[in-house]
Amino acid sequence: MNRPNKILHYVARRLMQGIPIILAIVVMNFFLLNLAEGDAVDVLAGEAGSATPEYMEKMRAKFGLDQPLPVQLAVYLKNVVQLDLGYSFRHEMPVHELIFDRFGATLLLMTSTIIIAVGFGILLGLLAAVNLNTWKDALISVFALITYATPLFWVGLMMIIVFSIKNDWFPTSGMENSAAFYEGFDRVKDIAHHLVLPTITLSLFYLALYTRMMRASMLEQYGQDYVVTARAKGLSERRITFVHVLRNALLPVVTMAGVQVGALIGGSVIVESVFAWPGLGMLAFESLFARDLNLLLGIFLLSSVLVVAVNLVVDVIYCFLDPRIEVN
Amino acid sequence: MKITKFMNAVMMTAAITFGGGAVQAQQSGGSLVFLVQPEPPTMAGYVSTSGPIGLLGPKIYDGLFDYDNDGKMIPVLAESVDMSEDGKTVTFNLRKGVTWHDGEPFTSADVQFTIMDVLKKVHPRGPNSFKEVSSIDTPDAHTVVLNLDNPAPYMLRALSAYESPMVPKHLLEGEDIKSAKLANNPVGTGPFKFTEWKKGQYIRLDKNESYWKEGRPYIDRIVGRFIPDASTRASAMEKGEVLYAAYNAVSNVEAVRLNKEKDNISITTDGYSMINPMALIEFNTKEGPFTDAVVRRAISTAIDRQFMLDTIFFGYGNPATSALSSNFAATGLHAEMPHYPANGDVAAANKMLDDAGYKKDSDGVRMTAMFDLIPYGEDWKRGGQYIQQVLGEIGIQVELRYEDVPTWLTRIYHNYDFEMNLNYFYQLADPVLGVHRHYGTNMIRKGTHFVNSSRYSNAGLDALLGAGMKEPNAESRSAIYLEIQNILARDMPVVNLFELEFLTVYNTKLKGAYGSAMGAYSSFGDAYLEE
Amino acid sequence: MNDFWKLFSRNRSAVLGLLILCLVIFVASIASLIYPGDPFLYSKYPLSKPGENGFLLGSDSIGRDVASGIAHGAKTSLLIGLIATFAAVLIGVIFGALAGYYGGLVDDVLMRVTEVFQTIPSFIFAILLVAIIKPSIESVVIAITVVSWPAVARLVRGEFLALKNREFVQACHTLGMSDYRIMLKEMLPNCLSPIIVIGSLMVATAILIESGLAFLGLGDPNVMSWGFQISDGRSMLRVAWWICTFPGIAILITVLAINLVGEGLNDALNPRLRERN
Repeated sequence: MNRPNKILHYVARRLMQGIPIILAIVVMNFFLLNLAEGDAVDVLAGEAGSATPEYMEKMRAKFGLDQPLPVQLAVYLKNVVQLDLGYSFRHEMPVHELIFDRFGATLLLMTSTIIIAVGFGILLGLLAAVNLNTWKDALISVFALITYATPLFWVGLMMIIVFSIKNDWFPTSGMENSAAFYEGFDRVKDIAHHLVLPTITLSLFYLALYTRMMRASMLEQYGQDYVVTARAKGLSERRITFVHVLRNALLPVVTMAGVQVGALIGGSVIVESVFAWPGLGMLAFESLFARDLNLLLGIFLLSSVLVVAVNLVVDVIYCFLDPRIEVN
Repeated sequence: MKITKFMNAVMMTAAITFGGGAVQAQQSGGSLVFLVQPEPPTMAGYVSTSGPIGLLGPKIYDGLFDYDNDGKMIPVLAESVDMSEDGKTVTFNLRKGVTWHDGEPFTSADVQFTIMDVLKKVHPRGPNSFKEVSSIDTPDAHTVVLNLDNPAPYMLRALSAYESPMVPKHLLEGEDIKSAKLANNPVGTGPFKFTEWKKGQYIRLDKNESYWKEGRPYIDRIVGRFIPDASTRASAMEKGEVLYAAYNAVSNVEAVRLNKEKDNISITTDGYSMINPMALIEFNTKEGPFTDAVVRRAISTAIDRQFMLDTIFFGYGNPATSALSSNFAATGLHAEMPHYPANGDVAAANKMLDDAGYKKDSDGVRMTAMFDLIPYGEDWKRGGQYIQQVLGEIGIQVELRYEDVPTWLTRIYHNYDFEMNLNYFYQLADPVLGVHRHYGTNMIRKGTHFVNSSRYSNAGLDALLGAGMKEPNAESRSAIYLEIQNILARDMPVVNLFELEFLTVYNTKLKGAYGSAMGAYSSFGDAYLEE
Repeated sequence: MNDFWKLFSRNRSAVLGLLILCLVIFVASIASLIYPGDPFLYSKYPLSKPGENGFLLGSDSIGRDVASGIAHGAKTSLLIGLIATFAAVLIGVIFGALAGYYGGLVDDVLMRVTEVFQTIPSFIFAILLVAIIKPSIESVVIAITVVSWPAVARLVRGEFLALKNREFVQACHTLGMSDYRIMLKEMLPNCLSPIIVIGSLMVATAILIESGLAFLGLGDPNVMSWGFQISDGRSMLRVAWWICTFPGIAILITVLAINLVGEGLNDALNPRLRERN
């Protein structure tokens, strides 16, 4: 079988394997969430200030919460297969509408974070490896360590204090200016303006990871036989570094970046909380405490699909980049 | 030209000279952005008294009346009210020419529908507030006649837009009230119309051009912003991104700081007189270590209420002195009671327990207990931690439990699976509305939130509560409530800790938003922004 | 052992990290000596600045001694980190070893299970677990364990896959050794190095996750930890910066130290890494 065919088969197999994983996640979380005390009706009644037990029973019947668990699960799965993510009784809106509303915000934050974190991480890691054990290397390594170790919310709050309050360069929070109603390009500029602080905060943490990974990866490549050979052949350091080592060193870093995508939906909860960024992380957090099962399951579903898809894409890219990799 | 300008100048000078502060040039226009914390699930203020809904609902919906800072009734949708001699017939004369945001006319049929089919049926406090209303007649489109089984003086205190919003019959009739489309697309008669709700970001209300009050509202648009993090909320206030924050959306600590550091930010404790929040501890009187009233009294005696107020709430509030809030002193219903020391008396508490026969073991522990905390923020965690320490000093070793809201609600109000629970309640504008629910035997309702969870039952007290509800004579009512407070000071199924004072933080450019006793839960029809 | 120490100490920052870590552990162990009494003890001097009223690092909103909290909290944070990591490594090793050694169906099933846990957004899953089991030290440890073990499993599986076909393992088969003995006595010791490295870094991650959970209000209100102090003090950052800054610095230093040590271990144990001269 030739390679392109092999890859196609591989993709198809991975997709097939991905489906039971996603279903398993949904089922597991369904049961876990039902282990939690209290349900959506309790939360709504609590917020409302009161409600009679009869009223709450009626609401439970309406939400379908009075059915036995396996029945509820079956109904949910049946709907999911038909691409119906259900209804959030708390918000009185379909789940997919709620998710897609916030998906854009999450995507924006995630994409810009990955670009900056991976981009600068690769750059800094490269610089550190090339200047190994000099002050440049030490500085970069220390910087990476400190940004990794500082609690995320502290960084976020400091950013707001320094760059928004003390210096009026950026807004404190939110995705756009709620009192001005910008259209078109003005709106894009406004959102970009709001995106800066949360992105920098989130990127700093991941930046540290990629910097260290890139540095370690470069160093590992330098220890390989082909580098020794290249040096013996008389190639310049510059050529060795930028033409050969760099390309090989990038591979594990890129793989890691792909894996991070899944972590980002969850990991951004803190940044979304501090900066009031209307993403899925915060939505998941709120829906957990509101016992809005349909919504939370929908978010888990979406993020699992995303992770499976991105992992697959990264693996396939890996195959194309490194012809030595066996596709099996 | 010149003459007009000159005339304008003269008039302005005259206005400022003679009008003083009262007649200011209200400026039209601008956007008022304020904090709404947390984001409400819907905008259905007619099925929920949730605070965030209360911040926005009354701007969209009107009530029959509003109340000024002295408690006097201000006509809103009702121009006047007449009460019969025996108190059993109440007539509202409605304002004419009022329309709903969708153009339909507001009539007495709407009021009848709102009270009988909505508030009495699905509102959390409606069935209590309008309990005595057996039927409503609408002789014409602007007259509403309520027929009561018994006089209900407290009912007139429950007519604000927050407590009893008037809803459109033509949009709710025949629908399932809770899940009608109206919940997320509110249509009212208020000064602001609902425009847009970006979930997770903000709700936007625009000026109602055909509001019944001439020239109002002044502001063009109101935006309620949702910001989950407390520090970020304070930062937004500091920068002027939001102009108003009520119900401690900005924490006391930050409020005090902003007030001190910034000239254009002020704080006030006004606007909460009809709310009367009271922090308290609910005890399980049927099972567990606290079935003996002596122990509960000892706990009440030991706690340093003033210290809690000073350190956790920055001094905003008053130590409780009875089962009723001291704000009811104005209507003669409050009386100071024993066992409510402001500064706590650990020695006396220890003696009470010693005398009652609760011996300390070798570690100094008399009994152990689980202490549940209301999961509404750090202040309550801190309060719980302080109380944990103090109880340790009188030999009661408690472990703290902090769960999320649904878990906590289920535990306390569905399962009675608790021993002591730190909580706070609104006592509202009359004890019938907010206090009775803790103590009446008929309020022991498994599965209903925020009612008699201690399962305290005292037939004598029940009779007094019933009498207090119906008594129209002020002096007689005082006497009844004195008796009630005496009994509760002895039995203490609920130990009141302190009367909270919520803070409103506002930017000084916002004016005219402080005339109603409902504070943040008012319509803001008179508010304006001074640039 | 001597060789290992020589390799390790060549990395000066790793030695520095080790020293700092020892200091932290030392403080944690003598916490009850230098700060006897309950770190939760309130006092009449709330919000004292560092140095005021006898509080070395200041006091918090109800007058608790921040320094006492840090000392006692060190114990909690380290314990949480160590226990969660140990549990995660244990589970990860079991899964990875079995999957790598037996291959085939066992590998497929175990790896699918691992993938399930890797695909769920881990921080939200941790929040979910803590919320369901109710916030306490135990639930935090469980949550951290559950989201951390998949990485170990993958690593161990990779190592076992590589080792499986080596001659010495074949030899053990021929000798008739049981699978269990081979895995435990022959193969596992050979892949200890990467496990140690990843384990050491996990302790740091565990401490960070705990502080993140506490920030969101999901910490144990009965036990003093750095995360607890931070969540308590963060709303007062502008008026009383010391309440959450000092614990934040404590976390920073500890996580830093652990990472330095981890890197040192990696350099010392990982022969593939050569330095350029």
